[in-house]
Amino acid sequence: MKKKKGFGLLAKQKAAGWGFLAPASILIFVMSFYPMVRAFITSLQTGPAAKLKWAEPLFKNYTRMVNDKVFLTSMGNTFLYLLIQVPIMLVLAILLAQLLNNKDLKFRGLFRTLIFLPCATALVSYSLIFKTLFATEGLVNSFLKGIGIISENINWLGQSGTAKAVIIIALLWRWTGYNMVFFLAGLQNIEYSVYEAANIDGASGWKTFWHITVPLLRPVIVMTGIMSINGTLQLFDESVNLTNGGPANSTITMSHYIYNNALGQGVANFGYASALSFIVFILVAILAFINLKVGDTRD
Amino acid sequence: MTKKIVALFIAMCLMLGIASAFAEKLTVTAWDANFNGNALQAAADDYKANVDPDFELEINIVSGSSDVENDITNAGSSGDYSLLSDIVLFQDRYIKNFVENYPDAWVSLEGADINWDDITAVKQSYSTIDGVHYGAPVDNGTAIMAYRVDLLEQAGYTIEDMKGITWEKFLEVGKAVYEKTGKALLSMDGSGNDLPYMMLQAEGVSLWKDGKPFIVGNEKLRRVVELLIEMEKEHVLILSNDWTGYTNETIMQDQVAGVLNGNWIIPTMTQVADNAGKWQITTMPTLDGGEGYATNGGSSLYITGNCKNVDLAKKFLAYTFGGSKETYDNALRTGGVVTCCISAGQSDVYSEGVPFFNNQPVYKDITEMGAKIIPVEESPFHYVLRGYLGVAMQQIKDGADIDAALEEAQTATEFYMEGMGY
Repeated sequence: MKKKKGFGLLAKQKAAGWGFLAPASILIFVMSFYPMVRAFITSLQTGPAAKLKWAEPLFKNYTRMVNDKVFLTSMGNTFLYLLIQVPIMLVLAILLAQLLNNKDLKFRGLFRTLIFLPCATALVSYSLIFKTLFATEGLVNSFLKGIGIISENINWLGQSGTAKAVIIIALLWRWTGYNMVFFLAGLQNIEYSVYEAANIDGASGWKTFWHITVPLLRPVIVMTGIMSINGTLQLFDESVNLTNGGPANSTITMSHYIYNNALGQGVANFGYASALSFIVFILVAILAFINLKVGDTRD
Repeated sequence: MTKKIVALFIAMCLMLGIASAFAEKLTVTAWDANFNGNALQAAADDYKANVDPDFELEINIVSGSSDVENDITNAGSSGDYSLLSDIVLFQDRYIKNFVENYPDAWVSLEGADINWDDITAVKQSYSTIDGVHYGAPVDNGTAIMAYRVDLLEQAGYTIEDMKGITWEKFLEVGKAVYEKTGKALLSMDGSGNDLPYMMLQAEGVSLWKDGKPFIVGNEKLRRVVELLIEMEKEHVLILSNDWTGYTNETIMQDQVAGVLNGNWIIPTMTQVADNAGKWQITTMPTLDGGEGYATNGGSSLYITGNCKNVDLAKKFLAYTFGGSKETYDNALRTGGVVTCCISAGQSDVYSEGVPFFNNQPVYKDITEMGAKIIPVEESPFHYVLRGYLGVAMQQIKDGADIDAALEEAQTATEFYMEGMGY
């Protein structure tokens, strides 16, 4: 082959760039975007999977959601988890990160590992462990009874209020350490001299935290916020394994309800399940957008 | 070198493939190794010993019935049935809907040499779709009402006293038992509560009417729901949070003096070896008195659209589960599987006294009770309705108005069915 003169260095670099991007892009298209398009098409269809036909009217799967009490319940539950769990978790994560960033603290590495460790457990296994802990004859009840706080075993997972609380506690345990790692990384990027300057100016620890640490961590807060919102809206394992949505659907999440429509309750209703997933998709997009706008520092 | 190995490997695969195509081999997928697995093994041994020495049955055990349902859903959605076994075990209550929606996934049992008159009416009512037989029966879901005779005695009652009583009387006995022994007379999984279904069936009433949920205006159901709530309040009934809570806590941790469920619950009861000889079974109570008969759960074997040797599958199912005494005797011995073949139930093994049940010949009693069950209207949406009824009961317990809660269950079930085009 003769070398073509027209292939300049720039063009070659461009080609190389495309070459490196191609495998990942193709995979994302095939594994992620194509299914999304198919899911949207399915969401306009109705009937059993073997003989799907177009819904009449076309957006029927979307309009019927408004009357779906269980879906509305699941949405309420998911947003309750979101509103209570995410703020508590992020605040805890920042505080822990701040504590563990202290250079004078002994066994820092050990503490960091311990707090991050819950993240290494599989979602299903930790859900099952929490289920065992909070069983009527479980460890939590025996402990509380032992130290005299309660006199009779509490059916934690059998009452809607306590069942929701258990799910929130489980989520906090599982995800706080994970978010803390991001904040730790963010804190490493803040110059120590900034703190020194603040110190010389006479700022207290609390003031330094609020006026230096938090603003400088803003991008990390936005990122963890988006990730947590996204994760909570797609919450599935805990609802399925810890409480199975019960009692009386009081802990069921949107994803769990989508699953119930697709598999696990006899013949699948893929059309409706796909429509429900698109609603979750839109909700995630809206919340992420708001989050980005709020976190944007450029006025 | 590598090429040679690959070639050799391919050749071996081909040879094995050809060999297995010629052998008299079938594959079957089922759940519960100790129960269904043993029944299938008994059938395979029977067929191998008495019909075809070359016969081979490969039994794949999956973790639950939903695995098989999801297999069919996936195959039906993709139109690719090639990964299905020749035969699958399938839940009786779901099969009608799956045959209607995925017709290509199944092959009917037409032409198989089975004497259908010998199989209980209620079992056939599930697996016959538009007059065509699809399923070969395995187990018999006849409900048993078992009582701890020793605990009844402490409260001043005998097992004979419990025969043909009303649920009101049951509640009264239950209160006495709880007072004397601290144990409940009944338990159930609160999230998948089968009691309303069984209690209504004993009345000859269904939760369905003309294909629609029959909750609103179902007077007997209202009475049953009220009774169950009263029973739970009085500690006569334990409703656990989930299925494992029901089996592993209430039954296996010895919290109850009575069990009402399909007879497949027996292997769970026998886990508590200390209670051997203290249990006995009888018929269940009814709302207005008289002996009640019901069924709950159960499954049958179905030939799939992927079966390579339909004739062999039909022959095998007809010979074994179609009524072979040897198959059913061994299935009972090794797995505790009770037949719904009337003639097989008259075998000597069935008349033997069972030590766990104080030497009562429970299996004979169960087959006799099974023949007296009145089939009621069934629906593929049974479990959806059961779920919503459970929600309603939880709401009533939390103080909601009974009629409003039941109406909500009716609407929710109808809403779900409407989404499926019903």
